Amino acid sequence: MELQDIFYNKQEYVETASGNKVSRQTVLCGSQNIVLNGKVIVQSDAIIRGDLANVRTGRNCIISRNAVIRPPFKKFSKGVAYFPLHMGDNVYVGENSVVNAAAVGSYVFIGNNVVIGRRCILKDCSMIEDNTILPPETVVPPFTKYSGSPGLCVGELPECTQDIMIEFTRSYYQHFVPLPQPDKHGAK
Amino acid sequence: MAYLTQPNYVKYACSCGLLKPITKMYFCRHCLKLRCGYCVCHEVDSHYCSNCLENLPSAEARLKKYRCANCYDCPHCFHTLSIRATSVTRNSEDGSKTASKLYYLACFFCRWTSRDVGIPDQASATGRWPERENENSETIASLIEYFKVLALKERIDKEKIFHTPRRNFSHFSKLGMTAALVRKRSGLPSLPLGRDADLTSLPTIVPSVASETVEPLPAEMFTTAPDLTKVTTLSQRFSQPDIQPELTSEMWPIHKHLFIKRSQRCRECEHNVYKPEYNPISIRFKIQLAAFYHIPEITLLSIGELKAGVPSEIVVRLCNPTQHLTSVDFRPLPSAMEEDLLWERQVQLCEERERKDSQRTSLTPGSLNTSLGSSLTLPASLTRQLTLYEPPRRVRLDVSSSVQLPSCGIVLPPRDDAAEYDDSAEKHNFQDDPEVVVWRKSNKAAVKFSITPDKTLASNEEVKCGFVLGYGYVNTMAALEGHKEPQRVELQVKVLLSLGTVVSDE
Repeated sequence: MELQDIFYNKQEYVETASGNKVSRQTVLCGSQNIVLNGKVIVQSDAIIRGDLANVRTGRNCIISRNAVIRPPFKKFSKGVAYFPLHMGDNVYVGENSVVNAAAVGSYVFIGNNVVIGRRCILKDCSMIEDNTILPPETVVPPFTKYSGSPGLCVGELPECTQDIMIEFTRSYYQHFVPLPQPDKHGAK
Repeated sequence: MAYLTQPNYVKYACSCGLLKPITKMYFCRHCLKLRCGYCVCHEVDSHYCSNCLENLPSAEARLKKYRCANCYDCPHCFHTLSIRATSVTRNSEDGSKTASKLYYLACFFCRWTSRDVGIPDQASATGRWPERENENSETIASLIEYFKVLALKERIDKEKIFHTPRRNFSHFSKLGMTAALVRKRSGLPSLPLGRDADLTSLPTIVPSVASETVEPLPAEMFTTAPDLTKVTTLSQRFSQPDIQPELTSEMWPIHKHLFIKRSQRCRECEHNVYKPEYNPISIRFKIQLAAFYHIPEITLLSIGELKAGVPSEIVVRLCNPTQHLTSVDFRPLPSAMEEDLLWERQVQLCEERERKDSQRTSLTPGSLNTSLGSSLTLPASLTRQLTLYEPPRRVRLDVSSSVQLPSCGIVLPPRDDAAEYDDSAEKHNFQDDPEVVVWRKSNKAAVKFSITPDKTLASNEEVKCGFVLGYGYVNTMAALEGHKEPQRVELQVKVLLSLGTVVSDE
């Protein structure tokens, strides 16, 4: 089933030259340390903690409502240090999810209400199902689906996951349209 | 994503008769047939640890019992254990204090640590952790040894009977199926053959003896209340089958199971349909023949209100994933009688081919497989599968509505990755019927159908409709195999759409 149009209030969103759509209702701390590489959607009430360390996302990422993107820390004998968080292309982060990962690969799907513990590594083409808790320092290999609490491998993804995710994130961006422009069949 | 999180609304019929979403199917370019996970051969390419992502050759993986030597799972919650360091100060002999680090395993999810069960801290982080000896390991090893020799002996005895002067070994070698090769392929060590093998004496084994007396339960069993927090759950016990700890104090870290990378092979023509790269973190493939890249994809766009016996409109999107122009058309599903006839004809064809093959080799694939399989005491899955002519299965499409299909074919332009960045929206001059084609965009077209759910459907019953999708496929393999031009073939696939439930009239 094709995605239905998602409408947003034009006044609420800022659109940059590279096509990023960022809600004004977000908390972007340390915005000079946040790089959104184009056609990224950051929806309302999302939090990106650029003040802790650099946050970089690839192209066509979607950060849904109430999501928190927060660089991970590591404890040393002399205090803590924060590490930069890199996210690949075509990543979807669901609503109310907290991402504390050290690295998120490309074509990764993170469901709703997910907690990704600190310094997790999510490799390319992986999926975290809704309501999953990934404990700290988990590694999610490519083409696997993790679910549960603690998140364990529950299945595998089709080999063409890369193209599924590219198509999904692209169509999400295309269907993320300002109000009021009712569009019957998704064609533009 | 729709494919990852939503139910599968659109299903294609595989040539084996199963209904699958397009993402889970393969398209063999050589026999031009759709294949699904159940009708391809899965071959293990490499083993890797899901935590350290280290690639292990299969021989080494077998030696390590398909478990990672360095990574452990928590025996309590099965999350991966992490290594933690503590610094301790030790008094050396001359009275000075030296600081050193000690390491232990800890679970960051349930807070289990290796100290809980009394595993001593280690001085090096990478060092091997103490392994628990299985008290039965000696018995098991002697039994394995015994049965290995016994199997070898039986096999040689059998081959003696089997060995007649007329026997032609070339069948085996031609198909790459000599006994030694089968062993090699399946990763078993080669067996000493002929005179080298010492088969006069079987190793002695001590049979188990049943004892009359059973140890009585300890007195605490009756006097103290059970503490369930100290008793392991079934899944915790089964995760360590050799020990099966009953108390949480007996749980030891579990070596992490290895994951595999697989390649898929068409069973009929033995060509690979999927072959991944060996590197475990690579998402690239050497061979990638998913149906998703070869046959037109159908996506549901909108569904009108579904009422029993009332026509309603659905819009589907067709997408051409190939580099070649294609045309699609829609045909009604064959009736039950037509399908029976078609099926019988295919079964006949299959039998004929099989007969021809067996005449040529004077040994049918089935019997060859079984004779080899049993003589080597190898599971059939380990040996290389021969060309199989599987009789086709009936495709079960339970439709509960009638479809008014568009009579005209629809031309789909080839896929163009640059189209997204092309502002000068190219106008194709397709003579489309506006009643059928709702819109077009690069290699996609939206098509309108009219469907009528069956009158007999009660409310909340599911509406399904189906049709045969005919599509043109450009076979570029033909050009590689010596023909000059890529050949164009017309192929068909049955498609089933799940449209949702009927709404009641009220």
